[in-house]
Amino acid sequence: MKGIIFAFMGGACITLQGVANSRISQDIGIWQAATITQFTGFILALAILLFVRDGKSQGFKQVKPLYLIGGAFGAVIIFSEVTAIHQIGVTFTISALLIAQLCLTILIDMNGWFGVVKQKMKLPQFAGIGMMIAGVLILKF
Amino acid sequence: MFLGLLLALAAGSLVSMQNIFNTKVNEHTGSWATTTLVLGMGFVASLTIGLLFEGKQMFTLQNMQPWYWISGLIGVGVVICLVQGTKLLGPTYAISIVLTAQLAFALLWDSLGWLGLEQVPFTINKLLGVLVIVGGIVVFKLGGRRESQKSKEASVLGLE
Repeated sequence: MKGIIFAFMGGACITLQGVANSRISQDIGIWQAATITQFTGFILALAILLFVRDGKSQGFKQVKPLYLIGGAFGAVIIFSEVTAIHQIGVTFTISALLIAQLCLTILIDMNGWFGVVKQKMKLPQFAGIGMMIAGVLILKF
Repeated sequence: MFLGLLLALAAGSLVSMQNIFNTKVNEHTGSWATTTLVLGMGFVASLTIGLLFEGKQMFTLQNMQPWYWISGLIGVGVVICLVQGTKLLGPTYAISIVLTAQLAFALLWDSLGWLGLEQVPFTINKLLGVLVIVGGIVVFKLGGRRESQKSKEASVLGLE
């Protein structure tokens, strides 16, 4: 039960983050909003890191440099999501976002890109994506 | 409308790639070290792009409200919830619930128009559409085990 609540709150917070960024962007601008929210998040995460010390800072050296800059995508993700929310609303934005996210994940897994373990996808994964796209079409009619 | 859809698809693709990159970092460091790096990188990238496009305008914050400063803390809440949820439920169930909650709250937000966003009226079609999408997520995640399920699921765990 506790796990369900955590997972549910996690999903709620992801959407809330997009909505809050949209609201803040209306006043101070998108890049300003992206800069400020990620800065405060960074400071808190750093404080927690120094407190719990769960990380092996040595570990960063073992990671391919390309993977270290994944966080920079955050700027473009926030820009795209906020602009989309302003244009097509939260529900449609999140639906399309999730479909693209799962589709690309499938593609990466099937081809073993970025050194992930190659996997065969089965019917349920394709049926699931198909249902999600059907759901988006229903949303629009 | 078309542009909005295109941007949402672009954002989703980037989230997928970011999740995989973050998982790679996470394997060697730990979730707080990863989160700190990811948000730090996002901050630097946003500041740089903002300065390129807007120059000094970047530092004029009109109608700045106090809560804007702390809204970035939501991102840290996301990490705590995802890490705990995954630990307690395992990745498959946790991520299914996370995705479902994302959609449910999106619909709620559109319908209520909170935080000054444009209200998008609730219709039965909207609810039906979201339910079918959630059904798709459940089929995707729980229907038929794929090989090496574990490593696969780890890659979907986002550290936004």
